[in-house]
Amino acid sequence: MASGDSKQRREWEAEFAAAAARPLRTRMRYAFIRTYKPVLDDAPYRSFDTMAEYRQWCQKNLPDWLGYGSAV
Amino acid sequence: MAARFDYAQAEEIARAFASYGVRYLFIGKSGAILLGYPDTTQDADVFAAKGEANGRAIVAALRELGFPLSDSQAAEIVRGKDFVQLRSGPFDLDLVFAPDGIETFDDAWRRHVDVEGFPVCHLDDIIASKIASNRQKDRESLPRLQAFREYWLRHRE
Repeated sequence: MASGDSKQRREWEAEFAAAAARPLRTRMRYAFIRTYKPVLDDAPYRSFDTMAEYRQWCQKNLPDWLGYGSAV
Repeated sequence: MAARFDYAQAEEIARAFASYGVRYLFIGKSGAILLGYPDTTQDADVFAAKGEANGRAIVAALRELGFPLSDSQAAEIVRGKDFVQLRSGPFDLDLVFAPDGIETFDDAWRRHVDVEGFPVCHLDDIIASKIASNRQKDRESLPRLQAFREYWLRHRE
């Protein structure tokens, strides 16, 4: 398991180094994507008085697979 | 659906916010990406200081950028919500006025990093915020983000 972790770490470090070699403009072109997120993208504006209220709204209204729900 | 966020739009935010004197920082995964973290995201997250003057400045800057804010929405931003999600403008933008895991805007500002003119939260604050929010998607990505923190600290000039 430990060797798997260190392999993973080496792969990540290679990704970090490759990203660092690119100009910021290029990094941003690769990083920002656009896909439709159900419910979340269906209203032009939402606001919440508190972050707790926002988290509760995410938990209650968004599909689990989006990952906005609370981690167990 | 709004256009994909890009470098030019980040520059537009920086220019418009600077011209109105908005006190803000990029935060979240978009902030980490500005710091060099290789990953993908959809929207820009901005941590803005709470307060009426900053709220008015944000509204003016957002309207200039093309966000069609109604008077009631503008009033909410000025009054000070903790979280505002904008999906009606030229790009998707989340305004966070009280991110989990960060005490105050001034604390974050003291630690912030300038990346080619973009003010960005320190990676420690971005990570603290993600830990405190305790979302499933953040929990899953934290090990890689924490590994990036170590890399970033080693390679910072």
